Amino acid sequence: MPPPPRRGAGMSLATYLSRTRGNRETAERIGLQDVLAYGYLVLGVLVILVPVLWTLFSSIKSERAVDSFDTRVLPIAQVETMVDGRSKPVWSWTAEDGTQRLVTKAGPTRKITDVATLEAPDQVFQVPKEALAPHEELRIATENYLDPILKRNGQETFNFLTYLGNSVFVTVAATLITLLINAMAAFALSKYRFRGRLTFTLLIVATLLIPASIILVSLFFVVWSFGIFGSLWGVIIPAAATPTGVFLLRQYMLTIPDELLEAARMDAASEWRIFWRIIIPLSLPALSVLAILSVIWRWNDFLWPLIVLISDPGKHTLQLGLTQFAGEFNSDFHYILAMTVVTLIPITLVFVWLQRFITTGIATTGLK
Amino acid sequence: MTHALDLRQIRKSFGPVDVIHGIDLAIGEGEFVVFVGPSGCGKSTLLRLIAGLDDPTSGDILLQGRRVNGVPASERGLSMVFQSYALYPHMSVRQNLSFGLENLRMPKAEIAQRIEAAAKMLQIDHLLARRPGQLSGGQRQRVAIGRAIVREPVIFLFDEPLSNLDAELRLQMRVEISDLHAKLGNTMIYVTHDQIEAMTMADRIVVLRGGRIEQIGAPLDLYNHPANKFVAGFIGAPQMNFLRGQLADGVLRTDCGLVRDVPFAGAGKVTLGIRPEAVGVSLHGHGDVGHGDEVIRVENYEQLGAVTYIYGAFANGEKLTVQHAHQIPLRRGQEVGVRFPTEAFHLFGEDDKALERTR
Amino acid sequence: MTPAGILMTALGLLWGLGGTVWLLRHRSYTAAQVPRFLMDLLGFPVELAQSVFGRGGVPYALLLPNMLIFGLFTFAPMILNVYVSMTGGPSIALFDRPYVGWDKYAGLFDCENLLVPKTCSNAGYNFWTGMYNTLWFVAIQVPVMVGAALLTALVVNRNIRGRGFWRAMFFYPVMLSPVVIANIWNWVLHRKGALNAALGDTTEAMTALAGLAGFDIAATVILAVVLMVVTLRSLGPDAPPLAWSFVFAALLAALVTWANPLSLIGRDGSGWLGVGLGLLLLWIVAQGHAARPALYAAAAVSAILLLSIQFDAVFAFDRYRPVNWLVTPKTGWAFFWLVFVFCWSHMGFYMLILLAGLQAIPADLYEAAKMDATSPFRAFRRITLPLVMPTLTVVVVLSLIRSFQIFDEVYLLTGGGPGRETFMVVQNIYEVAFASDKPDYGQAAAGSILMAVVIAVFTFLQLWLTRRQSDL
Repeated sequence: MPPPPRRGAGMSLATYLSRTRGNRETAERIGLQDVLAYGYLVLGVLVILVPVLWTLFSSIKSERAVDSFDTRVLPIAQVETMVDGRSKPVWSWTAEDGTQRLVTKAGPTRKITDVATLEAPDQVFQVPKEALAPHEELRIATENYLDPILKRNGQETFNFLTYLGNSVFVTVAATLITLLINAMAAFALSKYRFRGRLTFTLLIVATLLIPASIILVSLFFVVWSFGIFGSLWGVIIPAAATPTGVFLLRQYMLTIPDELLEAARMDAASEWRIFWRIIIPLSLPALSVLAILSVIWRWNDFLWPLIVLISDPGKHTLQLGLTQFAGEFNSDFHYILAMTVVTLIPITLVFVWLQRFITTGIATTGLK
Repeated sequence: MTHALDLRQIRKSFGPVDVIHGIDLAIGEGEFVVFVGPSGCGKSTLLRLIAGLDDPTSGDILLQGRRVNGVPASERGLSMVFQSYALYPHMSVRQNLSFGLENLRMPKAEIAQRIEAAAKMLQIDHLLARRPGQLSGGQRQRVAIGRAIVREPVIFLFDEPLSNLDAELRLQMRVEISDLHAKLGNTMIYVTHDQIEAMTMADRIVVLRGGRIEQIGAPLDLYNHPANKFVAGFIGAPQMNFLRGQLADGVLRTDCGLVRDVPFAGAGKVTLGIRPEAVGVSLHGHGDVGHGDEVIRVENYEQLGAVTYIYGAFANGEKLTVQHAHQIPLRRGQEVGVRFPTEAFHLFGEDDKALERTR
Repeated sequence: MTPAGILMTALGLLWGLGGTVWLLRHRSYTAAQVPRFLMDLLGFPVELAQSVFGRGGVPYALLLPNMLIFGLFTFAPMILNVYVSMTGGPSIALFDRPYVGWDKYAGLFDCENLLVPKTCSNAGYNFWTGMYNTLWFVAIQVPVMVGAALLTALVVNRNIRGRGFWRAMFFYPVMLSPVVIANIWNWVLHRKGALNAALGDTTEAMTALAGLAGFDIAATVILAVVLMVVTLRSLGPDAPPLAWSFVFAALLAALVTWANPLSLIGRDGSGWLGVGLGLLLLWIVAQGHAARPALYAAAAVSAILLLSIQFDAVFAFDRYRPVNWLVTPKTGWAFFWLVFVFCWSHMGFYMLILLAGLQAIPADLYEAAKMDATSPFRAFRRITLPLVMPTLTVVVVLSLIRSFQIFDEVYLLTGGGPGRETFMVVQNIYEVAFASDKPDYGQAAAGSILMAVVIAVFTFLQLWLTRRQSDL
């Protein structure tokens, strides 16, 4: 076979350098498009992950490091020691002869600063400011997490366990109710022919287009007159019927063959039993997608709980508690960051555990 | 004697569309009846009406003399084998068999005993722990039949149960269902569009078209004495040949040139029907007409060894299929003489009804 | 207890006790069948409906709970909104509210000039400020986010390694709660936060680098080589490859920005000029007719610009002054970050939907296009775009409705500030009804209805426009 015509030395050199396998003609090259694509993806993932990771790393830094906006990644903190019942930072003093000693400041920082050694805190002497360097150690500040959770060091207002309990209760109860009643409605709309089916379907489409925030005010009146304002049920029930859920399940149930239902009817099963024993087990994939969606929605819900539950701190969900906490202790960034991470962790774990399922599930079953 | 099933003036319409136009039918105890017809003839709808999955628009359904209109499917004491088997995919074979019995609140011991018996009879006892997804087509078919058997129904209903199987399995299952009928002796109603299944399995065949019964009878009755052109064409493969012609004073003149005294009364336009295997063949062709009544030109042919199919056309363009019981040398375009024995003639009038033989 | 509460309790008792009695009378259960009994009890209304009305009654019983909640907590409030908007006073007892007619609406429209909220009454000022901010937000955020989502979906849909990983990474922020997101970004965007620190370090490093001897020459040479390679690649033997043309356009934009030709006539905006020229080049190349002359011209312009740039001057920055991103007024940064954070946290969801739409396009269409020697850009425009259009419409409508309702992120990040720069309409409704000492529910309801009208108009306009487009 004659060699293929050369298209110019530059081209063939570039081909040679960038090809990954095979001979010249069939070489699969990592083209510029791939480079651009991977570049875009890496950049995007950095933009997404860096803030989260930065928050995570910041949350294990000591209060001093957080307050001074130390931008080092590792939780390096200046060592502190107790002097006269007060916590003071420790400095490393390099004497003119090169020896190093640990000292604490005994007065304001000036060009010449009063210091005292750790061993003899009463003997104050003077050193130039330049000779002092922070004495640092690598330490994970577990107190950022433990103080609010164990309610110590003046962190009594953040009732983490109460908030967590409320959040879990709202999420679990709302998700179970949502799954049950949405599946029932979807079963009716997908497997029965009855007068008014189209009307019901259109009504549900209509709710899909009614934004939640434009009915806030009147929903408040309705919830109040049902006597569930200020209770967790006031958050759970109004959002239990989701049009998205009904449609997602209906689309899925349409794929279950009618013959199965007829076989069950020949098998003397009541309609409810058909729903429970045939439809529910066969719809599990769609139900799990809806369950995950519902958990995300309810766990992250903010505005409606803010309206319904704000007046009673004992009913706050984790999101509300965290907001109140961040509002009240605006300067205690180390606690806020730690509690943010605590709030973020459950949903992240769920995500890491189920990510393949979630992304493919939502992409294929959801909203089509 | 009460019939196992009586249908009286059954009509069914879906909205403005009439699917069943007044059907009367009585099925005796222990009979194997096959509903056969082209797709859309209403045979499956009729079966679903009997099963109780749909309600008739008018007319009565009587099971052993008891009127069951409006009685739910589960209380009619029937069981059904579906076209797609409709096995519950999330249950094991055992659970599939027991589901219906549990719904009837049968004691556990009896459920177990019935399942054992049915599984043994169908040779699926080693599959009880599996799920339908892990079974082959034939095994699924058996499980579906097993689910019908454990209910010990008055009547078995089969809705095209073999249409999803490959040819070989279909043959085997056909025999097994026939055996089952012989063993159990229950009344069975079987719906199919395949006339071979109908011919091989049925005690009686009900031929349906457009929501009406065209003919009821034993398989060979239908074959030998079709009541009309539709049944004649539907039963038997390859299809009966139809040739246009005129009948006057006992003389039939077909458009393709055949002139014959025939023992049929009547006059006017008729259709001559003759089955492919009744047509004789002579290889000598044109110029030697004495060996054959007519001549066709061979358009295509199939040599199957035991039989030979010849697809030919008359000079006027009418087609003729011939089934010859021997191997003969053929080529396309060749002319072949064909013989029509009068005793094999079926004549159909202008209304497509069969004409009576006069002797 | 309210009447409604009593009703609910009675219903519950009827269900539980009545159901138990009914089931035990009609069926027998053994001790082992307790779970089954509980399930039957749960479905008691359905069982009852079947036994009373037959199978025809079942779907209604199945729909009942869902429709009851929709009716009470979605449709009833919709209608109630109209009533509430016509009543005044702070009473929360529905029938104890005085009728005020159209007063609340009149308050909203009490303006000298509707387009200038400052000329309105107090209520009108707050509402229209929120409305115009929201409209701005929607107008900027929706195209940016949908564009980014489409681009990401296209990239992820390519035959790349670790597709699942990338897809999951982009979706991750969707799972995070607004509070968590706000805390994260508050921390990052703090005046002394990570972003300012990183920007400060970068400018310092760049300035130091630019101060090195020979930086100008080195940068010129490197860029000249890059320009040469890119030009050669773009002018390959076949049609200009889109990826290289894209790099060419980006390079051109950068060179124009750095060379700053508009400064000769004493104007700013060279950066925009550069972006404009880059896009123009891409457009011409994509059209395919005058691709080569355009690329030659761009190469010539780039070469001249390259020689004129003083790189050491371009990269010598002043000392970086940390920006208080979310607080400093009249810089637009707060608004920018709002758009950014909203896209950051929601894009993944729309990307997934678009990805599903892209994956539904049969691969053999692209293979057929390849056999017909269709350029990738043309394949995108004539195959991908039309086929993904229905999904894109859904995404645009959903994100439109979603971003109109923006509240959580603003409330937690900026609280509507600085001043009223990021004050959105839902926050107005929330504050008027729930966060004020004298709640004015009527006013808030009137605002809600106006907002509903605006959303409806935009949604239908969008649907109508895309329908026209797909008809063509």
